[in-house]
Amino acid sequence: MSSITIALNGSEVTAAEGKTILEVAQENGIDIPTFCSVEGLSPTGACRICVVEVEGSRTLVGSCHTPITQGMVIQTHSQKVIETRGVIMELLLTSHCGTCYMCEQANACKLRAIAADLDVGLPRFQSKKRFYQIEDISPYIVRDLTKCILCRKCVRACNEIAGKNVFATGYRGFDSKIVVDFDEVLDKKVCRDCGICIPHCPTGALSAPVGITEEKKATPLIIRS
Amino acid sequence: MTQVPKGIIDKDRDPEQLLVLLKEAQDKAGYLSEEVMAELAESLSISRSEVYGVATFYSFLSTKPLGRNVIRICQSLPCYLKNYQTIVESIEKEIGIRPGQTTDDDRFTFTLTNCIGACDKAPAMLINSDVHANLTPEKISQILKDYK
Ligand code: SF4
Ligand code: SF4
Ligand code: FES
Repeated sequence: MSSITIALNGSEVTAAEGKTILEVAQENGIDIPTFCSVEGLSPTGACRICVVEVEGSRTLVGSCHTPITQGMVIQTHSQKVIETRGVIMELLLTSHCGTCYMCEQANACKLRAIAADLDVGLPRFQSKKRFYQIEDISPYIVRDLTKCILCRKCVRACNEIAGKNVFATGYRGFDSKIVVDFDEVLDKKVCRDCGICIPHCPTGALSAPVGITEEKKATPLIIRS
Repeated sequence: MTQVPKGIIDKDRDPEQLLVLLKEAQDKAGYLSEEVMAELAESLSISRSEVYGVATFYSFLSTKPLGRNVIRICQSLPCYLKNYQTIVESIEKEIGIRPGQTTDDDRFTFTLTNCIGACDKAPAMLINSDVHANLTPEKISQILKDYK
């Protein structure tokens, strides 16, 4: 595979053809936030938080699914990028339930961590929110889809890693939901106990049914008022 | 699980054909019952959730029983600006149900839809596959008479 030279945040960088901007940035120690991308799995570009600026491109591009090309000039943390990520974050939080202070995942939640990192507190926008019943009848996995941001990582992890195809995206638009079978409660009939999907979830929507205090490992989280 | 009548699902097709097969199954069976979707999943060796995901994404596919005739009023911008709401109201008055419902005698299912490509003749609606355009509230009862 031939290598390609690009300009990444002002420095000249060489990387193998076929790599995505995200992969090259990571190789060079640049941290781009992601929610939906999973290393080694096909990208979906669902969440948009990984956007970067590419010279000559009309819009910002998703770094997780855009391959590098010869001579590409990329800014991963320009003011425009940071502002846009902030707005994307606000939009993700707008229809998120927002009850972090009640969530067992709160201080270990990727959604919250990246929101805090982008200095996003409560979103400016008001929108509908969806509340689903918690699914906790499976002995292996608890699903609380009220917290789901539809990144579809669980779908791909279960399809492409576990090979079990338990989940799919059902419905459309605001009604979209990660469904099991004909939108049934996740139970042990369809899901084997591999637990592969759980750590992929960037929110508290998927968790293992354990006692709350066993998993508290992270530091307290401060959210801007 | 009840038996799916023969001929609803054509078996020798590949998963890429899912959408076409769902459409065909709906045309034959009237709607996509769980039995039909389960059999389709099995015959294509894909998960039920995938079949359900596709079936619920497309608004012209239905996982619930439909009436004999399906009225779809366009709610996209041109029809919206040409007072589609008055058409919705006259249909509601005429058949006594609201969008999303089916009449007790199964004669009509009534829904709203997005653009049906008749913007130049807004407001427009589909009944089954017939386009009715340049609608006015006065035209409604005459149009509906033809659908039994
Ligand atoms: S625990 Fe394994 S089999 Fe069950 S839904 Fe998650 S990835 Fe799929
Ligand atoms: S349950 Fe978690 S991993 Fe699955 S789509 Fe929702 S947020 Fe993503
Ligand atoms: S991480 Fe790139 S679009 Fe979600």
